[in-house]
Amino acid sequence: METSTLQRPVPARRPVSEWRLQIGHRRRLARADLLGVAAWVSAGMAIALWLAAAPVRLASPGDVITAAGIAAGMIGTDLILVMIVLAARIPVIERTIGHDAAMTVHGSLGKPALYLLLAHAGLLVVGYAATDGSSWLAETISLLTVSDVLLATLGLLGIAAVVITSIVAVRALLPYEAWYLIHLGSYVAVWIALPHQLSMGGMLAQGSWQRVYWLALYVGGFGAIVWFRFAVPLVRSIRHRVVVERVQQVAPGVVSLWLRGRNLNELQARGGQFFIWRFWSGSTWWHGHPLSLSAAPTPTHARVTVRALGHGSRRLASLRRGTRVSFAGPYGIFSDQARSRSRIAVAASGIGVTPIRAFLENLDAAPGAVTILLRARSERETYLWDEILAWARDTGAACYTSVGRRGAGSAAWLSATDEARGVSAATIWPDLAASDLYVCGPAGWADCVEADARRAGLHPEQLHRERFDW
Amino acid sequence: MRRRVVIGGILAGAAVIVVGWEAGEVTPPSHQALSSPAGHTGADGSSATGSSATRSAGSSPADTAQSASGAYRDGTYTGSTISTRFGNVQVRVQVSGGDIAAVTPLRLTDRDRRSVMISQHAAPLLQQEALAAQSASVDAISGATYTSEGYRQSLQAALDQAQ
Repeated sequence: METSTLQRPVPARRPVSEWRLQIGHRRRLARADLLGVAAWVSAGMAIALWLAAAPVRLASPGDVITAAGIAAGMIGTDLILVMIVLAARIPVIERTIGHDAAMTVHGSLGKPALYLLLAHAGLLVVGYAATDGSSWLAETISLLTVSDVLLATLGLLGIAAVVITSIVAVRALLPYEAWYLIHLGSYVAVWIALPHQLSMGGMLAQGSWQRVYWLALYVGGFGAIVWFRFAVPLVRSIRHRVVVERVQQVAPGVVSLWLRGRNLNELQARGGQFFIWRFWSGSTWWHGHPLSLSAAPTPTHARVTVRALGHGSRRLASLRRGTRVSFAGPYGIFSDQARSRSRIAVAASGIGVTPIRAFLENLDAAPGAVTILLRARSERETYLWDEILAWARDTGAACYTSVGRRGAGSAAWLSATDEARGVSAATIWPDLAASDLYVCGPAGWADCVEADARRAGLHPEQLHRERFDW
Repeated sequence: MRRRVVIGGILAGAAVIVVGWEAGEVTPPSHQALSSPAGHTGADGSSATGSSATRSAGSSPADTAQSASGAYRDGTYTGSTISTRFGNVQVRVQVSGGDIAAVTPLRLTDRDRRSVMISQHAAPLLQQEALAAQSASVDAISGATYTSEGYRQSLQAALDQAQ
């Protein structure tokens, strides 16, 4: 079939210079730093709002506890809003720190935010009780009779449920869909906590700039979610009309899905990026699949390659031609956009080869500047290797393979036999300290690669990893 | 890079907090600020029934403490509205047989829900104090200093009419 052949890029231009790559890289890191500082400033603003609104009374222990409780609530809520912004897939954040890093930060803020909000509730009960001279129980009851506080308490329970179900151990027990629904509930939880913020303390009083700022944060965060997570994907899905064109068996349990659409170049997807695909067949429509492109997209076609890991991905093998596909993306910075050096080192294992395959295709590098290592436990897992080897041959890239059971030493990411021969990151990529390293494969394996590469002199900024434990 | 973010973030965040701190002047841990509401006395007394509220901020409650039982004319008197930063305070006093028989709060600090809670907690205690003292010489209820001060001033204005 004609559509199964992909156009190979013709390296017509001179490869991009080291200097330009470094400038671009520095700019990206500076933008990332600015975003980080902005998050800190937002926490500072939360405190400043409260300080500016009222002279803080610290006359008695009760006042001090109350003040600490208010501060905890302001910062905790601000962290929740920062988490919402991080999860909103806002393009500037996606391009700057990447989807994975954004979600990692999002996840790492969950527990601190919850602890702060629990402290907020606890400290205010204790602080109010101390000033009113009543018991904690009586104070709790009198607070809960205020309807706004009751709502906020329900919201807090909702946030606690979200955080608890997101703890790795608990999340493993839950189906993805249950976890996702509870997470959607957190939007409600955050909203129903708002009335008590406006009515309880005087700091967000009607007509104050504090109230305007705070509501703007809420509206901005939720607006970004609605726009970038729902509206933009919907419009793109309708506009580009993607359908399944062909399902191709690559190996046992591994299929390539050939997708056809209109003007896909407008999406400006780069090889190495991923989309969250939704295939509208009876058994698959309710599950979004985050899948990397396994070939650079053309204006009319895209390809993803998937290994049957869960029930959902197994059903993808039986998709029919013509199945409608909606999508969100492109996401991720596992692409040439994140480069910092002209030399490229690549390590791929198992099905992790898919984004690497697309990434290489878009890569603008001089002959000899790319060194690839492909890793598989057995010959049966050498998915798409023929395509990568062909690309390496055509472009003058070096490509090594390492097949067999993994070793046990410091280079355990290679096969035991290769490790015994003394092969390591340092011998495969002698210029590693002056290269970008792109790694994609199972998390444990990628950790091994990372550690070995660090020993060989790789700076953390030059490491690019794609998560593959979906 | 990461350290740069943390240091930069802390500095920038701290700067914002300092500005906020400056914007809302911080009361020292004492009751000095409490005389300030008196400055608004009368200016806000729209519903004050004829209360003149000429009393200066410096007038001590002790001045009126001497008014012993039976010192007031019978009737119902409405104190002036005292504005505090947590809302306006106004009380009505009922004198019978020359004694303060009841103090009814017409309005207590209510700018936000927490203030309402505080007012509800403080109102009965303040009335108790006023009845016991038979004057406006009430001690501030802890946690309700603004409410207490407003209450005291409004009550004083009402009792001034009853002299």
